[in-house]
Amino acid sequence: MSSPSRNAAIVGWLIGPAFMVIAAWLALASPSAEIPIGEVRVVPREEFPRNAFRSPLTDAKNAKVGVMNHSCSECHKLFTESPVEKRVLVQHKDIVINHGMNTRCMNCHFGTDRDKLVPHDGTLVGFEETPRLCSQCHGTVYRDWQKGMHGKTLGSWDPQNEAHRRLTCNECHDPHSPAYKPMAPLPGPETLRMGEQPTEREGHGHKHSPLSTWSRPKGEHDEKKEGDH
Amino acid sequence: MSLRIWEGKSAGKSSAPNFSRRSFLRTGTAVAGGIAALAAALNPLRELKVEEEFSIDKFLQKHYKEMNAEEMEHALERIRREVEHRYKVRPDVKDFRAKNGVEFVYALNLSRCIGCRKCVHACVDENNQSRAPEIQYIRVIEMPRGTLDLEKGNHHYDRPTVPDANHFYMPVQCHQCANPPCVKVCPVEATWQDEDGITVIDYDWCIGCRYCEAACPYWARRFNFTEPKIPEDQLNPTMGYLSNRPRPKGVVEKCHFCLHRTREGKLPACLEACPTGARKFGNVLDPESEVSQILKTKRVFVLKEEVGTLPRFFYYFDERYPLSLDPEAQAVAVSMGYASAESTLAQGEGCGGSCGCGKGSCA
Repeated sequence: MSSPSRNAAIVGWLIGPAFMVIAAWLALASPSAEIPIGEVRVVPREEFPRNAFRSPLTDAKNAKVGVMNHSCSECHKLFTESPVEKRVLVQHKDIVINHGMNTRCMNCHFGTDRDKLVPHDGTLVGFEETPRLCSQCHGTVYRDWQKGMHGKTLGSWDPQNEAHRRLTCNECHDPHSPAYKPMAPLPGPETLRMGEQPTEREGHGHKHSPLSTWSRPKGEHDEKKEGDH
Repeated sequence: MSLRIWEGKSAGKSSAPNFSRRSFLRTGTAVAGGIAALAAALNPLRELKVEEEFSIDKFLQKHYKEMNAEEMEHALERIRREVEHRYKVRPDVKDFRAKNGVEFVYALNLSRCIGCRKCVHACVDENNQSRAPEIQYIRVIEMPRGTLDLEKGNHHYDRPTVPDANHFYMPVQCHQCANPPCVKVCPVEATWQDEDGITVIDYDWCIGCRYCEAACPYWARRFNFTEPKIPEDQLNPTMGYLSNRPRPKGVVEKCHFCLHRTREGKLPACLEACPTGARKFGNVLDPESEVSQILKTKRVFVLKEEVGTLPRFFYYFDERYPLSLDPEAQAVAVSMGYASAESTLAQGEGCGGSCGCGKGSCA
């Protein structure tokens, strides 16, 4: 009879000091309420330009020679012959031809008027009108493009809106090397990595902890820019 | 066996309280300790900074659907004032309403997406998402070729360059479902589906319970755990009440198909930034629109069809993968001698044999 009540009395005496200990712990050693927030990350707008992928030469009159604008035919008055054999480009050194089997300049360019392009039917096409030229080989893509299923549209989603504009082939593809070059991805989500994740970056030997957030090793971005279009 | 602290009462021998010196000390210590512990536990509250000023206007503001034109203008003016106070920029805030005869649909070409994440950051830039912690509406999932098992996907990929030949890329954002589970679970009707199919959120009405975030099978909703941080020079001053105005702490946000742009006839920011033209947007009620053509003629699927959400976001494929992204076709091209092994990741587009050259694939 007396033993439980004595126990209760002892426990009663302990409650106060226990609260004191909790209070001291909370006040002195309580975990910080701070949420770990990363630094402000701003990806510059140049990284995601909101327009056509490339600005093509739409007018043969504006071909740049040095700092001057000339038309293609101004030089090609002198060089009119169309080489039968595939030749190394001496003048147009910035042009890389990587268009599969289509390795001859005169497959697309017109021999006697270098300001024009020529499809197989012999009609002349201006530089601004590339889809008709490209369509003779790339039929299914051309069909899709006509209906807006291939390629990019700018301006408006409404085909009746006058701002609605479907980009032409060479506003995205380089006609001399049409496939897209690999490019550096922009940063991914800054969230914790969960589940099964690759822990090692290919070719960098950089280990990621499953709990680390996204980070790009320094200097890597500049390297990648060179490989860009 | 009860722990008797209040001995006088529990003894029950007398109706008058019978305090002993001992019980008083014991109870007093416990009470004082308890109060001290409570105070210490509430200590972190002192660090709580309320950056947003309390506003009677906001407190008394009605639900979006109940506001008349005058009350809406009053609310917009309050938002302009608050944004100007906070970001030193006078914003152009409007209430963009859905138009008749328009139902928006998104289509995304998986054969073309290269996983560059330009859409992700154009979205962050356009929609005034928090930059720290960063909130992204679009999640680009890198998937191994040959499967649609999302368990095998990875949205943290950080290769030096994309695309990787052994993966394809699947961007996921709000699918603007016709049967949206997120809307059903909202206890306060802070989110609903508008007439043009866009599911919107009234940020002033959201209580931050995050039920919708849990209900969404596409992981499309984001929660502002902290006060969103946007550098002043990064703020997009063209704002919609239901879309990209700065959000307060403690509310949910998500993709809204850039409704402040698309309800004006423009295209979403993610589409404009896409370098490959993989993204297509339009009015599905217009048979001539690009998305209608895609739904009619392409092989189209929706993500997690079996959950019955009826998304307005469709994925589709081309007849064939571009040669530049297809290792098998590249091997064929090399064996036929019209592509060199070194240049296979930079090959052209095929005609599928329609030109009659006999190669079956264009050079």
